[in-house]
Amino acid sequence: MDVQRYISSGIIESYVVGLLPAQEAREVEQAISLYPEVKAAVDACRQDMERYVQLHAITPPKGIRKRLMEVIENEDSEEGETLLPEELREPVMEEEAPPAGFKLSIPQVRIWQYALVLAVVLLIISLVMNVRYADRHKTLKQQHEELISTHNQAITDHQSLQSKLQHTERELLLLKDPAFKWTRLSGNSKHAGQFASIGWNPQSKEVYLLAQSLPEPAADQQYQLWAMVNGKPVDAGVFEMGPQHTTLQKMKDLAAAQVFFITLEKKGGNASPTPDQLFVSGKVNG
Amino acid sequence: MRPSLTYTEAELVQGLKARDEKVFSYLYDHYSPALYGVALKVVNDENIAVDALQEIFLKIWRSAERYDPDKGRLFTWMLNIARNTAIDTLRSRAHKLDQKMQELSNGTLQWEKLSVQQSVDHLGLSKVLDQLNKEQRVIIDLAYYRGCTQDEIAKLLDIPLGTVKTRMRNAIIQLRNLLKQV
Repeated sequence: MDVQRYISSGIIESYVVGLLPAQEAREVEQAISLYPEVKAAVDACRQDMERYVQLHAITPPKGIRKRLMEVIENEDSEEGETLLPEELREPVMEEEAPPAGFKLSIPQVRIWQYALVLAVVLLIISLVMNVRYADRHKTLKQQHEELISTHNQAITDHQSLQSKLQHTERELLLLKDPAFKWTRLSGNSKHAGQFASIGWNPQSKEVYLLAQSLPEPAADQQYQLWAMVNGKPVDAGVFEMGPQHTTLQKMKDLAAAQVFFITLEKKGGNASPTPDQLFVSGKVNG
Repeated sequence: MRPSLTYTEAELVQGLKARDEKVFSYLYDHYSPALYGVALKVVNDENIAVDALQEIFLKIWRSAERYDPDKGRLFTWMLNIARNTAIDTLRSRAHKLDQKMQELSNGTLQWEKLSVQQSVDHLGLSKVLDQLNKEQRVIIDLAYYRGCTQDEIAKLLDIPLGTVKTRMRNAIIQLRNLLKQV
């Protein structure tokens, strides 16, 4: 390298005044360490610049020295640190954030107060709900009982209808049975318009009565059915009126009968018919 | 207490690295005018310069162990800290760049701004500065006090980029000659 030429290129001066980019400045520093002439030229130039700078020297305001000395004396304490310009302070560790979760800033006592209020509120809500549900429970229980009673009624009705149906079916069977002879009994003069029907099966000897239209008897009286057999009245039993009168009632069995008649007798019936109490009568067909 | 004048450079360096407060106050007493002058010339504002000066001395105090005598004298190192700190301060305040960009876009340079705060307590200063060709003084100041790059200087002074270094050399040679006369 031509050292003289290098020195006279102006790179030394540019280096000293801080004009060179970092890469070029490093090259100069290398040259300084390699060539004493370069080092001497740099030193000389520095002295020039330092003298130039000294020409601009101005005594700084008085307070600065004192302040700086304070900072330095208290350097290791926190107070000293606060005296420093911000960029020169020791990096302050950020205060560690509280561990995950939310931070409890509410004092302990107040937490208990809040907890108590919360507990009371929950208790009140619970009581209100209890009352409401108790009411509801009562209503439902009533409804349930009503439903059970209705259901039982329905079962009863059903059973009743069932028995009525069976009865009616039986009556129908009797009516359809060609073995039965049906005799219509009717009233005369003061008993006009009164009727009854007798079904008699000469083979099985069964007798059924249908009291279609007879007046309701007194409490101590009952109607009694008779059959005239070879000129003599034969008892065929007493029967009820009331709800029974629309259905077939089974009477005593008879082996033979030419005429059927009904008289009103004392309750439980008589051994022989009272002649003036004849209500209806009818002759059995051939 | 030892008379301050007996400190050698090596003793100063050693004392600074040992955090000797007496050495620190000695350095302040002897060098604060020069460093303050640099700061003031760079930032062109007394308040900012005062802040910068404090920062400069605290950096000197705190980074003494980084000083390498092989790379230059202690004063040179201190001046570099002063210059860099002041320029950083200026840049961080966004003054420098705005101003520079404005000047660049205007294509004109306000010479007056470059020679502020002339010291009156140094004999011969005005004589030297007067005799230093205006253009030569400007090229030194742009580089040293403003931290301009070669590109910027070339544009500001409207000269070819390749001639910036030789212009700088000529300016400093002239400065050297003038300083000899003081």
